[in-house]
Amino acid sequence: MLTISTKRLHRFLWSFVLLVIPTFVFSQVRHTVNGTVRDLNTGETLIGASIVFLHHPNAATLSNAYGFYSINSNAGRYQLVVSFAGYLPDTIGLFLGRDTLINVNLAPGTPQLQEVVVTANKNTNNVSRPLMGVQKLSISEIKDVPVIFGEKDILKTIQMLPGVQSGGDGSSGFYVRGGAVDQNLILLDEATVYNPSHLLGFFSTFNSDAIKDVTLYKGAIPAEFGGRLASVLDVRMNDGNIKDYVVSGGIGLISSRLNVEGPIEKDNGSFIVSARRTYADVFLKLSRDTNTNRSSLYFYDINAKANYKLGDKDRIYLSGYFGKDALGLGNTFGLVYGNSTATFRWNHIFNSRLFSNTSLIYSKYYYDITINSSNNNIGITSYIQDYHFKEDMEYYANADNKLNFGIDVINHATSPGVITASKTSSFNPLAVQSRYSLESAAYISHDLSLSDRVNINYGLRANVFTVYGPGTFYTYDSSGNAIDSTSYGSGQAVKSYFNLEPRFSLSWKLTAVSSVKVAYTRTTQNLHLLSNSTSSNPTDVWIPSSNNVRPELADQVSAGYFRNFKDNWYEFSVETYYRDMQNQIDYKNGAQLIANENVESQLIFGKGRSYGVELFGKKKVGRLTGWISYTLSRTERRFEGVNNYDWYPANQDRTHNLAVVGIYRLNPKWTLSGDFVYYTGNAVTWPSGKYEVNGQIVFLYTERNSYRMPPYNRLDLSATLQGKKTKKFESSWNFSIYNAYGRENPYSIGFQQDPGDPDKTQAVQYALFRWVPSVTYNFKF
Amino acid sequence: MKSVYLSVVSVLLLLSCKKIVTLKLNNVPAAIVIQGNVTNNAGPYFVTISQPVDFYVDNSFPPVSGASVLISNSEGQTDSLTEVSPGNYATSFIQGAPGDTYRLSVTVQGVNYTASSTMPSTVNLDSITFEENKGFGRTRISAVANFQDPAGERNYYQFVEYLDGVQLTKDLFVFDDRLSDGRYINYTLYNDTSYLQPGDAVRVDLYCIDSAVYNYFFQLLQSDGAGSFNTSASPANPTSNLSNGAFGYFSAHTVSSQSEFIP
Repeated sequence: MLTISTKRLHRFLWSFVLLVIPTFVFSQVRHTVNGTVRDLNTGETLIGASIVFLHHPNAATLSNAYGFYSINSNAGRYQLVVSFAGYLPDTIGLFLGRDTLINVNLAPGTPQLQEVVVTANKNTNNVSRPLMGVQKLSISEIKDVPVIFGEKDILKTIQMLPGVQSGGDGSSGFYVRGGAVDQNLILLDEATVYNPSHLLGFFSTFNSDAIKDVTLYKGAIPAEFGGRLASVLDVRMNDGNIKDYVVSGGIGLISSRLNVEGPIEKDNGSFIVSARRTYADVFLKLSRDTNTNRSSLYFYDINAKANYKLGDKDRIYLSGYFGKDALGLGNTFGLVYGNSTATFRWNHIFNSRLFSNTSLIYSKYYYDITINSSNNNIGITSYIQDYHFKEDMEYYANADNKLNFGIDVINHATSPGVITASKTSSFNPLAVQSRYSLESAAYISHDLSLSDRVNINYGLRANVFTVYGPGTFYTYDSSGNAIDSTSYGSGQAVKSYFNLEPRFSLSWKLTAVSSVKVAYTRTTQNLHLLSNSTSSNPTDVWIPSSNNVRPELADQVSAGYFRNFKDNWYEFSVETYYRDMQNQIDYKNGAQLIANENVESQLIFGKGRSYGVELFGKKKVGRLTGWISYTLSRTERRFEGVNNYDWYPANQDRTHNLAVVGIYRLNPKWTLSGDFVYYTGNAVTWPSGKYEVNGQIVFLYTERNSYRMPPYNRLDLSATLQGKKTKKFESSWNFSIYNAYGRENPYSIGFQQDPGDPDKTQAVQYALFRWVPSVTYNFKF
Repeated sequence: MKSVYLSVVSVLLLLSCKKIVTLKLNNVPAAIVIQGNVTNNAGPYFVTISQPVDFYVDNSFPPVSGASVLISNSEGQTDSLTEVSPGNYATSFIQGAPGDTYRLSVTVQGVNYTASSTMPSTVNLDSITFEENKGFGRTRISAVANFQDPAGERNYYQFVEYLDGVQLTKDLFVFDDRLSDGRYINYTLYNDTSYLQPGDAVRVDLYCIDSAVYNYFFQLLQSDGAGSFNTSASPANPTSNLSNGAFGYFSAHTVSSQSEFIP
């Protein structure tokens, strides 16, 4: 057995070498077709559109994040077929005798049956592309899925995909394949969004009016991404309508939105500004209680983007996000927090095969707390701020080879806490040292077609993380006392970590509509979110790796079977994964995480592992669309001093996780949709007994996470009524009900002395939402 | 600060549904609970020994009788405590003083549990005042303890509040000067379960406790909360200064008291 497999391996390696070498040596003259794929009406670029030469299905490519594509072949007559979900495919005949520029504009619409048959055979990217563990959602898919408060929401919708778990009722936080909330890299136009939620998590920071495309990588993460262990959520903003001025918006019970877009110069540049605000606090203002009417509870956010074509080969983009949450109780307490990001990008087409994008990115997350009591006026602020340079190159060598390579340099500054205090305050002013770090990476990856059936993608990401001064760095003994400190000057390196992250994935087409895939991914993480409560708080603080905190490491292997049915109307996949995680972070009992210079002494380090099977079936075409996703999984952790150093379930360990989403177009006026969610309760620590200290009842715990919250289940329903559509004006009403059968899903279970009978103790369950109805009016002119 | 934030969360929870649930909980393992105090006031000082019970039985904790209980001080004096009522043991002569280290030794059925605690220097409670907080349609009165934190040293405090002579056992208050060294402290005792009314007599005891006892109570607060809203991801038993897996604590602390009527 062993010899056979070694022989096979050798043969495989040899064929690999033989295939790679001639990659860039062209024996025959090849010509390239390149261009940009856009929406016919708005001029929005389309990300991930499929471009194939008809009758040469092997010559296929996808448009990139800027709508650019490049495909080449030997001279000859071809039919170029361009297709994209939700659009009518286009077939363009051409004679390829020299490099050709073809910009493609697709009209939105549902393909007629015949057309589907013609194009869909080629439209099997989910089957043939080697990348696995990738979920892509377009805004048109998100818009009909009912969510809480009637506000369509990317983060709530991806929680219904396989391998993704919700952070709890109404939470924007999510767990991917056993990873923690902070192990997801969330990008908005390439800028890291450090806190993706508003209003304690009930809304996500992503205003879906401004969003074009959402891709979640959870298995094989392409080499161009790095910095987080579990997943990458790549969110791209709309570019703005390049043809006409459009105003659209929505008025809801809790929030309203307005979106303005239009050309800067027709067909050459466009802009979009999209804003939202909640107005729950307006109702507080109506209160006669002075303390209540001075309270605030709102958020707003603004997305803005502009792009301009500088010539046939150059386009620049400027995009930004600004969001703010304010939460206040009268004059006594205020919490303000928010993200700001800005991205400047320059697309340059060197030639028909070489595409480059250069990005300069800024990102900041901050919070600001003010407390005013009789003579205690204090303020606490904290932030994390990034300056980021990124250069990505895509080289479309030929139909069988594509190279991606680039560099990525981020400078992080983290200020864990600055306390300001009035003279009479009980607290001292304090500035916990800021930390500075430089995260640099270079990557290369190669998409390679080994044969008609076998496609591989392999790559390597090399990253260096350096923490540098100024600052004093401590070392601690096992009980957390500082035993040594060293001061470093400005710019002086304190500690560097070098990591190589190999990425590999392979797809093997069994038939035209089915394949198996395998993948291996190593990821590292050098920024860590400190959070020891069940839900993530806006006041959680990010810290960099340091002399005490080592980079988190994860290795993941996954394998899957992919099959499309009935001319690709249906997609089905089963994926299985195993992920091993090192240098995971937990907290000592009673850890002080706020404004603590020695916060690193409060941490403990251990291991994690997760494994599972994910089933996914999706119906993409027809009056009824939707998906079913089921995950069977286990997530465990192992820490010294916890549960006798045995593996124990992580909080987010959920054995079963089921989501069903259905959207039904009843007639041109009415669209009905619904979703159902069921999952096993979180692993929790509950008391087994109690004892008495100072007359107070104290609960006694035995093992960590040895109990389970009751299972969660919920049904949401929604109906959208399309109003009269004229050329100038269209509108719609959306009615939805969250938690339609009003199940009291426990949000938390607490333990207390029975207020009615001091001789007893009791467990109290809190549930957040029963029947949250909402109505939203949307318009566009 | 965290508590204010949590109260915002709690308000959200108030708007939600709350119900009593009966959970299937494991039985508690056999264990010993020891609670002992030595103060700078005149003795006798007491050590109580009991056992934990299962969550769903009555709050009556079996006392442990017949234990051998010794407290010794830095001068080498050892006081053997006598059992004055079941599970309750009293000293006979030892006198607590700031700066002294006290060692507790308890032997129950051949198993020895020990702890030591050093009594910090005294910090005097200057006064108590009252603070009114309006919000959500009601006014809450809270006592404020006012005292000077000594500069240049770590201090750990515990507050015990009495309403008309009855200790408010459900509210637990500890404070340390990690972020307040040398400040004049106005510490507000926010009550979770009791409400102060004008005319009530309030007494506050300020204890100076050592770091291990502070950690015990701080962890207790974090893992239990006030029992109503538990946000800790992984509540755990607080780290005790007692050896051999005993629950509870042994504290040598100073006491400074003030009383006031609520205007």
